[in-house]
Amino acid sequence: MACMNEDGQWIVLMGLLTALALFFLALIINQSALVGQTTAEGVLEFPKNDIRDLRLAIFDYYDDYGELTLLQQQHYVDDIVRISLERKNAVVYFWDGPQQDVSGRMLRPVTIHYYNGVTKYDETVYY
Amino acid sequence: MVNDAGQLYTMEGVAAGVIMLLTAYIVISTTSVYTPGDTHIPDMQLEQLGSDVLAMMDTPDNREEEESRLVVLVKGGVPGGDTLRTEFLNNCKMRAGGDDDDLRAQVYLTYRKMNGDVSTIQLSSSDPGFTGRENTVRVTRWVHLPRGSTYGLDNLDSSRPHAVLVEVLLWRA
Repeated sequence: MACMNEDGQWIVLMGLLTALALFFLALIINQSALVGQTTAEGVLEFPKNDIRDLRLAIFDYYDDYGELTLLQQQHYVDDIVRISLERKNAVVYFWDGPQQDVSGRMLRPVTIHYYNGVTKYDETVYY
Repeated sequence: MVNDAGQLYTMEGVAAGVIMLLTAYIVISTTSVYTPGDTHIPDMQLEQLGSDVLAMMDTPDNREEEESRLVVLVKGGVPGGDTLRTEFLNNCKMRAGGDDDDLRAQVYLTYRKMNGDVSTIQLSSSDPGFTGRENTVRVTRWVHLPRGSTYGLDNLDSSRPHAVLVEVLLWRA
């Protein structure tokens, strides 16, 4: 290493630091596109319409609940459970509890379970 | 004669080469966003459109009206299926701009028979251009079928209300 000029080491060092900083910034920009894409896909793949539709079907059932016989109630539940399994590949079950006084209205707690192999959804709604 | 000068220059050169290669790689991969299989995005748009149209058809026009258009058409059974498809497609094509003549649909209905079996029937008549290789999306809608007679639905117990599933296969020809 003889005869080497040792001036300007600070400039070289700062150059290296800037290069490293740019490297990490580029890495972050690079990853951000991927992160955004997977998040958006996760949102899009959530079976929002299926769950909304299922809830509506169940609420339709509870609209008619009072005037159905026990056997007819069982048939209607079987309609939803079995057709969901066969045509929608979703395990669906729902049941209700006794009516309760909720802010002056008599509502029954309806528990809904939905699982299509990817998304699991459980809720208890007073209807 | 080999001398031992310039070793640091060699190392520096190697380091600079590595940094340049990495930088080139990072810069190129930053500007190109890799999205595997983008076809599902227009598929999802079509799915959302179909789903919205079914939801619209399953909504009664006003409070006095008991049954939605979709319920009426499903009760009509197999002959009502073609009407259902035509109205469904007309609703899908309601948009600004030119006619969207490429949209095709096929309607299926799933219900439980009197003996409890699940039965799927084709409501609309077969599309003559359907090859089975189309890139289709499937939209579904639960329909609350009230008591009362239906037409063309085999073995349906009309003494009780039913939950039936309307499935529409939607594709662009």
